[in-house]
Amino acid sequence: MFRSQHLALKYFTAAMTLFGIMVVAGLLASTHYVQDGFMLNRLDFSVVKMLHIDTMIIWLLMGFIGAVYWFLPIEFEREVEGIRLAEIMFWIFCAAVAVVAAVFIFVQYGPATETSLWLINQGRKYVEAPRWAAIGITLVVLVFVYNVVATAVRAKKVTGIMAVLMVDLIPLFGLYLIAFPSITNMSEDQYWWWWLVHLWVEATWEILIGCIMALALMQLLGTSRRIVEAWLFIEVALVLGTGILGLGHHYFWIGTPSYWLGIGGFFSALEPLPLLGMVVHAVYDAGAHRMKTTNKPAFFWVMAEAFGNFIGGGVFGFMMTLPQINLFTHGTQWTVSHGHFAFWGAYGCGVIAVIYLALQKARDAQHLESTSWKWSFALLNIGLVGMVGALLVSGIAQAFYERAMGGSTLQAFMDAQNNVWFVQGIVMRLVFGGVFAAGYFVLMYDLLTIGRRRTAAETLKPRVAGGPA
Amino acid sequence: VTGTQMLGISLLLGLFVLLAGCYGLLYCLGRLRENRNLARLARTAYLLQGVTAGLLALSALDFWWKALLLASFVAYLPIPPLTWRLLENLHQPEESHS
Repeated sequence: MFRSQHLALKYFTAAMTLFGIMVVAGLLASTHYVQDGFMLNRLDFSVVKMLHIDTMIIWLLMGFIGAVYWFLPIEFEREVEGIRLAEIMFWIFCAAVAVVAAVFIFVQYGPATETSLWLINQGRKYVEAPRWAAIGITLVVLVFVYNVVATAVRAKKVTGIMAVLMVDLIPLFGLYLIAFPSITNMSEDQYWWWWLVHLWVEATWEILIGCIMALALMQLLGTSRRIVEAWLFIEVALVLGTGILGLGHHYFWIGTPSYWLGIGGFFSALEPLPLLGMVVHAVYDAGAHRMKTTNKPAFFWVMAEAFGNFIGGGVFGFMMTLPQINLFTHGTQWTVSHGHFAFWGAYGCGVIAVIYLALQKARDAQHLESTSWKWSFALLNIGLVGMVGALLVSGIAQAFYERAMGGSTLQAFMDAQNNVWFVQGIVMRLVFGGVFAAGYFVLMYDLLTIGRRRTAAETLKPRVAGGPA
Repeated sequence: VTGTQMLGISLLLGLFVLLAGCYGLLYCLGRLRENRNLARLARTAYLLQGVTAGLLALSALDFWWKALLLASFVAYLPIPPLTWRLLENLHQPEESHS
């Protein structure tokens, strides 16, 4: 194995650890909804919610970076350029994440001064990390970009997938710079902030996971480069064609001109079309290979990614994307329901699939199979579907009673919070959150053990062939 | 749009895309297994999507959104067969080579 693949395994370990912290923070946040005064003044809702969301972004980002470090040497048939620097940056990244998490938990907030921005919290949702840590993350991403580009230059070779990846890294890095300015005008601030959030999630991340899935499919199913590259180019065109101006659905109610209602609604309505194409592709590939693979866990997680993306992003997103409906639904648990499903479907499942692929090679297992991966797959997905279903019920109650019937007054907000549908949805979210957490622990057990035990045939084979045992 | 209308419309919008997904999935399964019943079910799912589009056309949505929904209903029809044909064309040289 190459050094960069060892680095990839470290990234995957860090990603899975942060995934666990995200799950715990999510359980704490959902307990806040159920029990008044839960951990009051010790670990308030705002703090656990911040931990939940920020760890979600960081574990996925680490998973993506790990996946690219895994595939780079395979793609270029050589070690990654600047690997030593990449290894140093990994530890800096982990240390920064640990310090920021400790500051969030133990310091939590500071006075409204520049010092707080630099040392405690930048105060912008999803990118709350204090400025010093944000600069650290920028450096990590810069080194990552250097690793990819310099390796391609040294190898004197650029494949189609790598060309798409390298172009994608420019906005991936550039958009993160929007995390830095502290603009005092709320409308202006939100306008640029959505560039970061939306264009990361619905453009640059989509392309990044598209590249990663293309590389994964070649390894998992032996699909030819010509096929995955042709399909990647089509998907990139469609995703960017609908996703970039789909940004407008975040501009409906933040003080931007009214033409965004039309632009956002129109392009958002087109967003499910390429997702349907992805579903067709997934089913075709599954059928073409007759579901035969040496790595079933990775295969099933890839399938979950295609369907989860379609239902979470397409169906749940389309329910609330037209302005006339979004007027009532934005900012309710309905949005939360869509967000959970879409992130899990589009990104979470993909990262887990790549981890299983990497483990097969790292553990030199001809077939990757276990009982526990099936349990974790079922528990995580049932837990997730249960959570988003429960949140949908709560969100519908909020949109109906608080927004449509109550006119969004404070009293209407309070009434909706006590509405029986809202309360039951919130309780069920916690219950299914528990199911999801159980799935996480089984997943961790499986990732630690799968492929370690050899079958008799696998143990004998190298000896018969005269290779090292 | 009133609260009740909002609920009805949003559920229909979700159903609209879900039925498009069912159409795509059943179409693929029908082609894979060369099963006419599945192909028929795919067509039924698409027809139901058309019914959903019709109901949305009668809803309180603005005219242009209704027009967009009807246009996208038409656009969903060729996606599974076109994608399938494209995938077959892409795979064909590999399969004939092997």
